[in-house]
Amino acid sequence: MPSRNGSVYGLTLLCPILNDPAAVPSHDLQIRDHLATLSRGADSMFALAPGTHLARLVVLDDVVYVGAPACEEHLKSKYLVFESNCDGDRDSYLTGLAKAIPGELDTIWKHCAGYPPGGANDLARFLAYMKKCEIETTFFFAPVNNKTVTETLVALRNKHAIAHFIAQHQGVKPAQVRASILALRDKLNAAPDPKPAAVHVERTMDTGGRNE
Amino acid sequence: MSKLNASDIQGFSLRGYNMPFARYLFLRLTHAERARTLLTRLLPLVTTGQLWDRKPESTINLAFTQRGLAALELPLATLISFPPEFQLGMKARGSILGDVGRNSSEHWDKIWHDGHVHVWLAINSLTQDVLHSRFAEMQALLEETRGAELLGFQDAAAIKLDGKFCTKEHFGYTDGFGNPDYLGICRDTQPGQGKLMKDGTWAPLATGELLLGYADEAGELPVAPVPHLLAANGTFMVYRKIHQNVGTFREFLNKWGERYGAGDDHAKEKLASKFIGRWRDGTPAELSPDREDPEIVADPDRNVNFMFGNDGAGTRCPLGSHVRRVNPRDAFGFEGRLVHRRRISRRGLPYGPPAPPENEPADARELDATDRGIVFMALNANLARQFEFVQQQWISYGNDAHLGNEKDILIGCHGEGERFGIQGDTSAANPPFFCTGLPNFTELRGGDYFFLPSITALGMLAMNLVDPR
Repeated sequence: MPSRNGSVYGLTLLCPILNDPAAVPSHDLQIRDHLATLSRGADSMFALAPGTHLARLVVLDDVVYVGAPACEEHLKSKYLVFESNCDGDRDSYLTGLAKAIPGELDTIWKHCAGYPPGGANDLARFLAYMKKCEIETTFFFAPVNNKTVTETLVALRNKHAIAHFIAQHQGVKPAQVRASILALRDKLNAAPDPKPAAVHVERTMDTGGRNE
Repeated sequence: MSKLNASDIQGFSLRGYNMPFARYLFLRLTHAERARTLLTRLLPLVTTGQLWDRKPESTINLAFTQRGLAALELPLATLISFPPEFQLGMKARGSILGDVGRNSSEHWDKIWHDGHVHVWLAINSLTQDVLHSRFAEMQALLEETRGAELLGFQDAAAIKLDGKFCTKEHFGYTDGFGNPDYLGICRDTQPGQGKLMKDGTWAPLATGELLLGYADEAGELPVAPVPHLLAANGTFMVYRKIHQNVGTFREFLNKWGERYGAGDDHAKEKLASKFIGRWRDGTPAELSPDREDPEIVADPDRNVNFMFGNDGAGTRCPLGSHVRRVNPRDAFGFEGRLVHRRRISRRGLPYGPPAPPENEPADARELDATDRGIVFMALNANLARQFEFVQQQWISYGNDAHLGNEKDILIGCHGEGERFGIQGDTSAANPPFFCTGLPNFTELRGGDYFFLPSITALGMLAMNLVDPR
């Protein structure tokens, strides 16, 4: 089924950006300016709201003509592209966003044509608008498997803890390992769920895709 | 595709010479006109890729950094047409390559500090005497033409074992198992060295993965400078002087070898095989995970002919072992096709005095302090797509192998809290195992990116004929 992969929903929105020649700077540049300042850490808007595995906000200016034999085409508008792999379904996820980060959403989407004047707080109109902008999603971010965000974060934390435990307990007597692992289990069970993006590994080198 | 014009290609690009001695001279070009005179004099001495009736006693090869080409006063339109990573040079690419911490450029040999290395002039030879006489010949040429200043040189030599030269490096591993085969390069295809075809046979990689001016694995011409004639039959070379902390390695192997498996000498050797994916005698762990097998090592049909597809859990050859990182073969699926554009050809020799045998007592810090290691050279058509990708994504990072931030145990630049995981099974002799507290077994001491031109291109440089129009 399109837009769904197990328990994960693939949401893709194409929201037309206001084309107002009187606006200086233009609305698309205002969105770009704001997106460049968004945090990717634990205070990211998508970490504050529930259910996001991966989200991406892109300003799509136009399609690029790459030369013959392609034909030259243009979009009717500039679009804000919002892609998200999230838990639940579209309406429950968007409701979660609207409740947790209404101001953040409005700051971005107020530059889009047709966005309800009442913003995310006008939930019914907000959901109707987003639904109208949705296009079918068939590709998903591969590492998102059939687990919720929280399940994934808990699994990652447990994996790290267990790998560390094994490394620390090689060669230790079985009885002691047993006692220690039971203690680890209790500790992990009692620990609060990790928050999205709370674990941040400081890398000493650039590992991004700029070099590919 | 027809056979390549080997007489227009530098021999070093096409094959390892298998000569035990080398001296790499580093030159600074101080005067363009005199430098061209020097090149003109060197031109007839440069070893080409033509097959030998009789192996010569020595070889000469030449390569240039971007600053070297600028010092030759090449037209700006040509200089700026070289790929950006070559123009920037290796030092400036440190953050991508993981050349940070103790590997960062402030710790490199002084010769690399000021960006004055313009030319790499390599002498390979069968004997020390010949090496010295060729060096004297080069010195005389430099003095006579005043075409370049000799900034320094790096000696390298194969290690002698029982009176015979061998292919071992200072940690004791047998090195130099073959390179990728490329289309048109006159050599019998060795199973395991090109690309695996659907029918199970091996085919050479596209020539354009090594040489500029030919189609690569995507059917495209590699990114190359203009004019085409300057680029064609040339390649890019990475030069890295890698210091080896032999004392640290031996201490580490002894310490963890005692805790691994039965804790005996065999377990220690097996642990060493897990680091690299080959036993120290060269036996591929994938083919023989439990013991050395000299028959496999000696068999060219088998010593590089293995895949990882049936060892998805890494219980034979660990997911993070060196050979599996640098050439994952089919480990990532798709019948191995994901690696065809990430292959490099390697050249290189150890440098520095051989360490005393492992069973002789030696001070570990003293072993570390001795100037010894390996001169690693890699050849490829596209530095960013091939060498830099392997170094960045597969050596200094582990995500593709599902190893998160783990790095190559021996040549990764380690920080605090890093570990090396060895996948195992339920047998006592092959337990899952972690080595923690990884020290830096190797340290980068310098290097750069070089352009290794064709014979025609060398002539164009010498005669000031480079015209990008």
